[in-house]
Amino acid sequence: MGGVNVESGGKGGRRSVDSEINMIPMIDLLICCISFLLITAVWSTMSRMNADAQVPGPPNPEKELNPQPPDKMLHVEMRADEKFTIIWKQGPTVVNSIDVPRHAVEITEGAGTTIRYPDLATKINDEWKANGSHRDSSDKKMDQAVLHTDNKTIFKEIIAVIDAIYTPKRDFGGASKQVPAFNVTFAVN
Amino acid sequence: MAIHEPGRRLMHFVPLKFVQKRVTGGGGRALAAALNLTSMIDFLVTIVVFLLMSFSASGEIPLDKNVKLPKAENTIDMIDAPMIAINGSQIIVDGTAAGSTRAIEEAGRMQRIDELFNILKSKRELWKAIQGGSNKPFPGVCVLQVDEKVAALVVKSVFQTAAFAGYPNVSFMVGQLPRHEH
Repeated sequence: MGGVNVESGGKGGRRSVDSEINMIPMIDLLICCISFLLITAVWSTMSRMNADAQVPGPPNPEKELNPQPPDKMLHVEMRADEKFTIIWKQGPTVVNSIDVPRHAVEITEGAGTTIRYPDLATKINDEWKANGSHRDSSDKKMDQAVLHTDNKTIFKEIIAVIDAIYTPKRDFGGASKQVPAFNVTFAVN
Repeated sequence: MAIHEPGRRLMHFVPLKFVQKRVTGGGGRALAAALNLTSMIDFLVTIVVFLLMSFSASGEIPLDKNVKLPKAENTIDMIDAPMIAINGSQIIVDGTAAGSTRAIEEAGRMQRIDELFNILKSKRELWKAIQGGSNKPFPGVCVLQVDEKVAALVVKSVFQTAAFAGYPNVSFMVGQLPRHEH
């Protein structure tokens, strides 16, 4: 039978400090640990993307508080087949409107494909750097983005556009981790 | 131990030369191979440490078998919230059927899904009952597991129904793509 013996001490009738580890149960234990951990392992990690439907407002809607100019909001239109339209709006007023060609990049993984829009992501990133209202790390508010789509668009494309909107990142408070610059709302109309 | 002269042996006329040859390794490659215990134990311990580090006690997130999730790059970590699965034919909330996607597609317009609304509303009331008199605000978070081929009309209907039922903070569950620097 295998064993580990560390030769030291134990002279003159005193109790030996040597200890012997039995190799067979030790290897059995290690193999049991490996089997258990392999069986219970979670290999597919899932994540999520926020689409907040909350609309902030005053605590008492009857009473008007100090009226403040509405923040600029980024509206992303994906109704047209050949282009996206990025519109900066302040309330009902259109501040700026840009068309981005709809170039989908397909990533094939196994049997499925994933769509991405890198041109749109780059343009939204540039737009936020130029026009975003909440870029300071001490600012607790996020810029708001609203996604508009028609009823027939498949979910895979919606996620690709939301992913592009989440591309710009900013520092938030003292945290070392960066957070998305936009808070995305999924428009229902 | 003392050495004795071997006694009588049964079947001594059977030569079994080939067994003797194999066991002693004479003439051919030996069957028994020596294994270095130190490297084997190192290897096993490394695997155990790696698996322990990647071990998650919270278990796997239940995923509907008929749902194929899209993938995205800019994602955040999952949270524990009511799970609404939407596949090509039906809507399921935590394993309970809560409406048909076909009916919404056939109607061709956005609508409130009554079964889903009732289930979510009862979940919200249950949460309030469990919390009792505590002042903790209701998080209003739900996670949608939507098949990548489902039409936007169905997603919008579920989104609106969830918001009406007190779950305005909707998240879409996605697979993780490797991140690139922009």
